[in-house]
Amino acid sequence: MADMKPVPAIRIERAEKRYGGAAGFTAVSDVSLTVSPGSIHGLLGPNGAGKTTTLKMLLGLVRPSGGDFEILGEPAGPAVRARVGFLPEQPYFSPLLTAGELLMLHGRLSGMSASDVSARTSTLLARVGLEGREDTRLAKYSRGMLQRIGIAQALVAAPEVVVLDEPASGLDPVGQRDVRDLMMGLAEDGTTVLLSSHQLSEVEAVCDEVTILNHGKVAAEGAIDDLLNVAGRTSVRARGTATTLPADVQSLMEDVAVSGGVWVFSVPDSAVRAVVDILDDNGWAIEAILPKRQSLEEYFGRMLDESRTVAEEQAVSR
Amino acid sequence: MNRVFAVARAVVSDAIRRRLVWIVVLFSLVLAASIPMLPSYGVGVAEAVYREIALAMTYVAAMVVTLVLSVARIPGEVERRTVYSVLARDVRRWEYVLGTWLGIVLTLGAATLAFGAIIFGVGWVMYGEPMWLLWQGVAAIWMEAGIIAALCVAVSTVTLPVIVAIAALAFLFIAHVRADLLGGPQNPLWHVYPSLDAFNIIAPVAHGSGVSLMYLATMTAVFAAWVAMLTLLGALGFSRRDL
Repeated sequence: MADMKPVPAIRIERAEKRYGGAAGFTAVSDVSLTVSPGSIHGLLGPNGAGKTTTLKMLLGLVRPSGGDFEILGEPAGPAVRARVGFLPEQPYFSPLLTAGELLMLHGRLSGMSASDVSARTSTLLARVGLEGREDTRLAKYSRGMLQRIGIAQALVAAPEVVVLDEPASGLDPVGQRDVRDLMMGLAEDGTTVLLSSHQLSEVEAVCDEVTILNHGKVAAEGAIDDLLNVAGRTSVRARGTATTLPADVQSLMEDVAVSGGVWVFSVPDSAVRAVVDILDDNGWAIEAILPKRQSLEEYFGRMLDESRTVAEEQAVSR
Repeated sequence: MNRVFAVARAVVSDAIRRRLVWIVVLFSLVLAASIPMLPSYGVGVAEAVYREIALAMTYVAAMVVTLVLSVARIPGEVERRTVYSVLARDVRRWEYVLGTWLGIVLTLGAATLAFGAIIFGVGWVMYGEPMWLLWQGVAAIWMEAGIIAALCVAVSTVTLPVIVAIAALAFLFIAHVRADLLGGPQNPLWHVYPSLDAFNIIAPVAHGSGVSLMYLATMTAVFAAWVAMLTLLGALGFSRRDL
């Protein structure tokens, strides 16, 4: 019997959005992405890369020029959107409403009964760090509190898929950590999270997979470890009292960082055993040996630089 | 329909908390109370003049409230992106448009009911008789305001509030000059001209005759037809719009 693959929580196939007809511009072109159920998938890209347009097409806010959109195995129409929660970027809600009334509105729009919404409200507010604020008018909320109530409205109907557009925007470091914990908690509960974010550290910390958009196209995609691990190099972390590393090691190492007697550097995979032996013979303590991994910020910056260089070369050749 | 009512409820709740609606109602109370203080009318016509001015004032107040509530409702929600978290749910665009109109028209209902109660109460106190016919006029005004609200909502799905306001005022003008422009029913354009004259029953109410139940039923049917057409246009316009 053939293996049954789980139905993707989100599947976007060859999405396209053009504005202004033939002479207009293409905001999104041939974008495909698949989000596994229960995962946290990051959608990255510089401003104008097409992230928000892609999300809007998925959620029916923008009419696609082409492509297929599926959520939980069904065409991404209004019916299946009852199982989706969405936090728009920089959400705004009527300042005349209280938090309780806002959640009641969105719960009712999702088909919940008033009693179900009421029963869920205090738990939900506590989950986003707004306990006891149910009767406070949103006019009195700070930017960070509005972001939190925005997350609460996205979660009010206990959705199976949550789409978050810059959820940590406007939050202080504690708030950002809370949002990270919240996303990881959602994934642990089996909820799928599609996260669009500029905060690369946030994406790197929580996402299982990422799709990077640039100029409306997919520039890179895959498991975050696969993208960030540097092929052929290993990172070594060693502690010692000497002010320099042995000469034989110096000739092999790159990306060196030193702090408080701890040295971190990378060497070719083929030289790891030799480097470890040299360090050991010279009285150094090896603290860690790991595959060399660049930060998402480094990867992202390098990818954008390469893209810019290619574009400039193409412009020159024309 | 639950989603339509949920949207309508949000609109009503939001509108009730905007003080402007109730300032207009309060202003009307002051004006209604001052009508009998105008220079003396001829004997026997004082009540008729009161009814005419009271209904005219109610009409103006209702239209002001209509424009305030409906001109910028949808453009504002789109501009502030409030609409995103609503339409990203299991909510169709037509449900949003219909719910918005319903919320506005229910708020208008409460406001015109308040206007009606004020002019009815003042009339009763000042002239010693309950002027029940005033309620016919109030109902007609509410229906006409409901049509204007539907027009505003429909136009506002595709354009800016200032254009919506201009369109609404232009329509109000055009819809009340059919007789001046076309003369009478003998003109072939008479029956296709967009007229709201059917809702102008101030004169029969003011002069004490009112209108028949059949006329009220016909007026209600015209109201329903206008609203259905405009709401459909609004839903079509909004469904094609990228947000």
